[in-house]
Amino acid sequence: MRSFGESGAGPMGLNPESRARFNLERASILIFDEQQMGMNILIQIMTGFGAKAIHRAETIEQAHHIFNTTDLDLILVDATGADSKGYDFVRWLRKSGIDPNCFAPVLITSGHTPNSIVSSARDCGAHFILAKPLTPIKVLERILWIAREGRKFIECDSYVGPDRRFKNEGIPAGLEGRRRDDAITEVSDSAGPNMDQELIDNLVKTRRAEL
Amino acid sequence: MSVVKIHTPKVKLASLLRTPGGRPVVEALAAAGKGLGGLKDDCLAELRQTLERAEASVATLNGTYDGPLVAELYEFISASIGGATTCGLEAIDTCLISLADLLDTLKTLQRWDANAVAVHLRAFRLLLHTEAACDAAGTEAILSGLRKVAAHYARNKAAG
Repeated sequence: MRSFGESGAGPMGLNPESRARFNLERASILIFDEQQMGMNILIQIMTGFGAKAIHRAETIEQAHHIFNTTDLDLILVDATGADSKGYDFVRWLRKSGIDPNCFAPVLITSGHTPNSIVSSARDCGAHFILAKPLTPIKVLERILWIAREGRKFIECDSYVGPDRRFKNEGIPAGLEGRRRDDAITEVSDSAGPNMDQELIDNLVKTRRAEL
Repeated sequence: MSVVKIHTPKVKLASLLRTPGGRPVVEALAAAGKGLGGLKDDCLAELRQTLERAEASVATLNGTYDGPLVAELYEFISASIGGATTCGLEAIDTCLISLADLLDTLKTLQRWDANAVAVHLRAFRLLLHTEAACDAAGTEAILSGLRKVAAHYARNKAAG
């Protein structure tokens, strides 16, 4: 049996030899990266994917201008560094009220990803953070993933963006649920025999990403 | 009490991706890889500049902790992560990530460890300027040294 790495598949299981097609030709994409090399890498990857409408922003002013004047389907923002303007930009765009851009999928890229940075990315309203180094398969998998999932959007005073509880690990420890559909945390006695491991594994089995 | 609005906006990207035409995954990945290959010389030049800048910064520290300088060093080392993989030198990115981890820890602890940083910069130089990066055993020997430094700091951090 071949291991995950040997198959050449990406971390989400997308088969790099797949003949399945995807089309980014008509997608309008904003790339905001203050680093020239980071910008060039993303441009090469997105061009290779067939994207034609790529809008480049090397400053936050340029990013604001493009966001205000162009319909966007995907936004890629680099947020390397503790004082990166990338987070501010995403926070601003989510609260801008410019429909449909304010709901567009946002991928954040970052060179170094300690916990504090991952939290910043999650709390600014991005869909996902991609740690560098970027590879074409990692970027493609994440684009396909954020485009498919139909994630809920939350709008409140302190946060606007995709639902951060997409993993559904339940209510955070020590807190009471704030939503009507939050399940109670106390579990009753079992009503039948335990399921065997094979059955459990089949229920929670991860599946390959498919186009 | 604030009002919370929950809704599911339509993701136009999903329907665009399914539009007839486009590219097969295998061809798109190959085209992207080919495009990245064209950046190799620029990436190598930028890595050389990063190394020289880092060595010059460390030399000015003179063995003592300087918050703004360490923060600046962390910023530009973090910003250079990613380019090496484009040149097929993944080990250099591993080295840069390890150095960024170390500098992040030193910033938190507000202390300087000249030896730990020097080990990383020597590894960076070796991987960039010698054949070590093309030799799996040589690369592994260099990276295992960095892992020992990282493990040492992880233990110290855990111990508080």
